[in-house]
Amino acid sequence: MNIRYEETQGRSLGFYALIAGLGVFILAALGAVYYMEHHGHYVTGMSNRIVWGIPHVFALFLIVAASGALNVASIASVFNKKMYKPLSRLSGLVALALLAGGLMVLVLDLGRPDRLIIAMTEYNFKSIFAWNIILYNGFFVIVAVYLWMMFERRMNKFTSKAGLAAFSWRLILTTGTGSIFGFLVARQAYDAVIMAPMFIIMSFAFGLAFFILILMASYKWTERPLGDAVVNRLGSLLGVFVAVVMYFVAVKHLGNLYLAENAGVENFILFDGGIYTQLFWLGQIVLGGLIPMALIYHPALKDNRSTLGLASILVLIGGVIQLYIIIVGGQAYPMEMFPGKEILEGYGGIAAYTPSLPEIMLGVGGIAVALIAVTFLVKILPFLPESLADKVADSHQQA
Amino acid sequence: MSKTLNRRDFIKTSSATAVGVATIASGITLTTFAANANENPVTNAKRWGMLIDTNKLTEVEIDGMVSACQQENGWGGEVHSTGDQKPTWVKKLKVKDKATGRITSLPLMCQHCEEPPCVDVCPTNASMKREDGIVLVDKHLCIGCRYCMMACPYDARSFVHEDLTDQREHMPRGKGTVESCTLCVHRVDKGETPACAASVNSDAVIFGDLYDATSKINQTLKKVQSTQIRADLNLNTGVRYSGI
Amino acid sequence: MYRLVTVLMVLLVGNVFAHGHPGHPNLGEEASSIKASGKIFHTDGLSVIRMMHPEFLNHKRDKTLREGVRTKEGSLKGCVNCHANKDKKTNQYYSVNDKDQFCSTCHQKVSVSVDCFSCHRTTPRKGTK
Repeated sequence: MNIRYEETQGRSLGFYALIAGLGVFILAALGAVYYMEHHGHYVTGMSNRIVWGIPHVFALFLIVAASGALNVASIASVFNKKMYKPLSRLSGLVALALLAGGLMVLVLDLGRPDRLIIAMTEYNFKSIFAWNIILYNGFFVIVAVYLWMMFERRMNKFTSKAGLAAFSWRLILTTGTGSIFGFLVARQAYDAVIMAPMFIIMSFAFGLAFFILILMASYKWTERPLGDAVVNRLGSLLGVFVAVVMYFVAVKHLGNLYLAENAGVENFILFDGGIYTQLFWLGQIVLGGLIPMALIYHPALKDNRSTLGLASILVLIGGVIQLYIIIVGGQAYPMEMFPGKEILEGYGGIAAYTPSLPEIMLGVGGIAVALIAVTFLVKILPFLPESLADKVADSHQQA
Repeated sequence: MSKTLNRRDFIKTSSATAVGVATIASGITLTTFAANANENPVTNAKRWGMLIDTNKLTEVEIDGMVSACQQENGWGGEVHSTGDQKPTWVKKLKVKDKATGRITSLPLMCQHCEEPPCVDVCPTNASMKREDGIVLVDKHLCIGCRYCMMACPYDARSFVHEDLTDQREHMPRGKGTVESCTLCVHRVDKGETPACAASVNSDAVIFGDLYDATSKINQTLKKVQSTQIRADLNLNTGVRYSGI
Repeated sequence: MYRLVTVLMVLLVGNVFAHGHPGHPNLGEEASSIKASGKIFHTDGLSVIRMMHPEFLNHKRDKTLREGVRTKEGSLKGCVNCHANKDKKTNQYYSVNDKDQFCSTCHQKVSVSVDCFSCHRTTPRKGTK
């Protein structure tokens, strides 16, 4: 039995309300960018100690989530799980949209965004950043080709090959994103090879959480049938990913505690870092890890769409917090410049950072761009199967 | 990797090099070097460096070095930037030995590494090292991504957080780009010493060519014990310290 | 379609006139006096410097910054020092990129932004240093 895909109608009041709501966030973000670029970064909370602030938190969060959102398609075409096949198109779309949102935030926070062309023409091949530019651009191309193979019946036979290419590319991409931090030898908070695999597993969790929310919302709002089998499968997968993220976080912090050089920054994050410690335990671990797992696995709450939706939202909030701790917390703690000595004056101490409203608006604007892109594109092209009822999904699985 | 040249540049450079080689080959002695130093590209025959003896250097002298740098390069007059947002090309640091309690003061600026992490991470080749070892930001290519600031182990770089006017003629600086100590490259190319070194009257700060066996810095480094900050990173800094 | 072609042609012709501006209204203090004395500074001809100055400046900037070649030829400092105008009343220099000053007269006309002066000094250096 063939799956029938169909564009959404996109004529309801709800559709326009959604577009208008997201549009407001995007306009606010553009206004914030104009304000920050006109005055300079002094109007933000960023400084020479906290050089990357909230915009980078959102940008990397979205980029990491983007590569993870592609997983659903990969499971179908690389690992041949037929149940996920009807979801592949949407998976590719969400991946592209999230990446576009993240890159927009990243670029608009540059000191000289007007010189973006230089980033495309001058490459330093020793720079992980330069590699990332290539990886991001390549991701757009490869996923676009992958989607074309899925859409075009004649090309369907190449889907699994394109899927394998896209899957490999996304693993390299997230490795590259994690390595932005992993290769910073000077900073005790980052200098760890585990950053790259940790970013990969983070991408699995964040990307899937985005995907679940978008899937459930679009089927509810378009009043198309969405069966429990699919949703529950995705839900338990999310639970596994969240657990693995927590495992990596534990290994990273335990490993760091063992190294005397890194003990300072570890103690800072885990025990006496004030806001960062609270964010770590309450935000990242409890809100973004333990509660979502309870919501997904507890017998009383299990297999319930509302709790799964809540769990997904909490995973995303926990993800933003996790990146905030990595990026901002990692910079706030001073570098170890003179081992065995204490710096009394001139450097050191915890760097202060208060995110400013324009920075936050820019970051949130990135999410809005991703969502508005999905909303429009599902209207223009047939990304969504007209039905994902259990009957359809099951029969497809057996086919 | 140095900046890629287009074909026209390449032809020009290679002909210039050919002329340079010809002059040397035709027997014109290398002592005329200083006269036309500004016409020929700098080479890796030199490596500029600085030796700072913290035992001889007083705190007043360090403050003097900082203000000499501000005067020379025009930073420090920013009106909007606050706290850590203000540019700092060189700063006075006070460190205390945890075991003995001995306190040392030192000036800290770009250490002009031989293997600079800032140059490695820069996506656009804006962070660069000249052949003679001076690490600079090419602000024409800098897009303000601040990755170099993340990579620098010495907190030596600053981001310009606001619009600037009335810059020094020899030291262009502008909003949205990263900057740091240039080792007063504009003075060094004229045969002078960096402003901070010139402001100290004693031999507590010695500037010179690390490779030149007859230079004071080379000879002093052979005699006295000296260290590099974060020597464990193996960056082989051009700025050395003794007394810490 | 014809309308489009006409618009393009007008734009192109406008460009030609922008280059062929007879007598620059804001040539700058020093440049004006050189011109008055009958000497020629841009010996390659004005059309060359008008057309090629971005290439000259870009080439010079890489030579100076990356290789330490500090000759006067093609130096932006030289342009600014020669082509800056003074306000007769206050005896202060105008910035060369101010509206209707030397750089802007043409650059405004052809709508090409000048990126030099987001970092470079826009007036001749002060008397002291």
